[in-house]
Amino acid sequence: MSLLEIDSVTKRFGGLTAVSRFSLGVGAGEIVGLIGPNGAGKTTVFHLLSGFHAPTEGAIRFKGVSVIGAKPHEICRRGLARTFQIVQPFVNLTALENVMVGAFNRTDDVAAARKRALEVLEFVGLGARRDALARELTLPDRKRLEMARGLATQPELLLLDEVMSGLNPTEIEAIIGLIRRIHTQGVSLLIIEHVMRAIMALSQRIVVLHHGEKIAEGAPAEVARDAKVVEAYLGEES
Amino acid sequence: MAAEALGGLALGVLLVAPPFLPPYFLEILISVMLFGYLGAAWNILGGYAGQFSFGHAAYFGIGAYTSTLLFLRLGVTPWLGMLAGGALAALFGLFAGYLSFRYGLRGPYFSLVTLAFAEMLRVVAVNTKAVGSSIGLVIPSREAAPVNFIFAGKLPYYYVILAMALGAVWITRLVARSKLGYSLLAIRENEDAAEAAGVDALGMKLRAMALSSFLTALGGSFYAQYFAYIDPTITFGPSVSIQGLLQAIVGGAGTVLGPLIGAFVLTPVSELSRAAIRGRAGVDVMLYGLALILVISFLPQGIMGWARKGRGHPARVPLIRRRR
Repeated sequence: MSLLEIDSVTKRFGGLTAVSRFSLGVGAGEIVGLIGPNGAGKTTVFHLLSGFHAPTEGAIRFKGVSVIGAKPHEICRRGLARTFQIVQPFVNLTALENVMVGAFNRTDDVAAARKRALEVLEFVGLGARRDALARELTLPDRKRLEMARGLATQPELLLLDEVMSGLNPTEIEAIIGLIRRIHTQGVSLLIIEHVMRAIMALSQRIVVLHHGEKIAEGAPAEVARDAKVVEAYLGEES
Repeated sequence: MAAEALGGLALGVLLVAPPFLPPYFLEILISVMLFGYLGAAWNILGGYAGQFSFGHAAYFGIGAYTSTLLFLRLGVTPWLGMLAGGALAALFGLFAGYLSFRYGLRGPYFSLVTLAFAEMLRVVAVNTKAVGSSIGLVIPSREAAPVNFIFAGKLPYYYVILAMALGAVWITRLVARSKLGYSLLAIRENEDAAEAAGVDALGMKLRAMALSSFLTALGGSFYAQYFAYIDPTITFGPSVSIQGLLQAIVGGAGTVLGPLIGAFVLTPVSELSRAAIRGRAGVDVMLYGLALILVISFLPQGIMGWARKGRGHPARVPLIRRRR
């Protein structure tokens, strides 16, 4: 059984079909890349998985249980956490406090949450910035903070939404390393990313979304050669 | 450490000095404590959870009317009556909160709905003979009866409200250092991100609502016993709601001591401007309004936010957030 099963999901906003009969499975221990041009519906898929939107049709199961109708915090409690494309730190709280909020997902005890949060901050490389307000952090650090808050909830599956956008090549290398280390800890990952070099290197499997429909799925090398994918990204030859 | 020494000294003065104060100053001090208490109660919901209630008069009034009616009609001591009022207010808070939060009312929309609930109760009270309609209720016996929350002089009332205010600060401190406190701050900062990080936003906001309305109702019962007279305009009117939130905002919303400090600044300003300008009705209120505008413009994070900045501590609450 897959960890996550998306079964023929459709999401319509009024007359706009953002996601159309989309199916995808993510197995335990996998890293799956979700790519596609802007507006393809990738982030909508994340909103559907994390409970911010309900699908118009179709089924979504996490660990065999439907997540449809569950609130975001309930889905997080079951072990599915996410980051946001536009980082959403609690700007007036310190980095440590930001991550503690995530850690409370698994404990009611302040000392335990603090301990867990400090570990996660060290893990993502923000240990030295623990007492800085989130508003004072640089964009790369905010991206790390966003990941740390998700990790602190102790997920089995972590959804990363463009955690590399806006970063320079050195910072991207660092994030790739961090994602690998997260994976080594036994967390499965579904990653939306526009940085092709990164997604090709990280993913075991890549799914391509275009106009809300899945147009390709397979190993990174196969997908990169797929004619429909090339067309979606570069446009039709005229 | 200096702050702790200062706090200890202040506490000592508050405990020891009042018996030697002239009655006028004692009255001001009682007002300070009552407003500080109401500010602290409001602060849990407004300052920490960021849910800006404009209608805490609803809970204040429920507290005042419940304890007074139980005493007048059934002879129940207000000490118990105030707990009953608190419980009733918490229930009403849960009801109003559930309706508002369930339907996703945020920001100014939530504020307007709370205001509407308070106004609704005021109109009900004005039109209900059984609760004295617009004439209100008088607690007649003025013979001292501590069992019934009636004291001979003002001094015992002062110590009651001092204990309540310190109790509210203590409860705020407990909340601030608990999972609830962190969750409320996260909700205030960004509710969607909080939910995504596993925070049960609805559940946490309702907890804050219940606690905040319970405490506010106890303040209403105190008011009724102290002044021995309540009417719908005083207890359910907007000025009570505004008084509570002003103390917290001026002192520093979302901080443990902010509301009490706000009350120590605001109440004397209000009293002094009233005393200084006799015979020109309304001028004192205008001066008070001017003082508020200045504080909000130049210290948007309240006195605590301003005081902490210098020492590198986070100032927690942007008072007026520009919403997208």
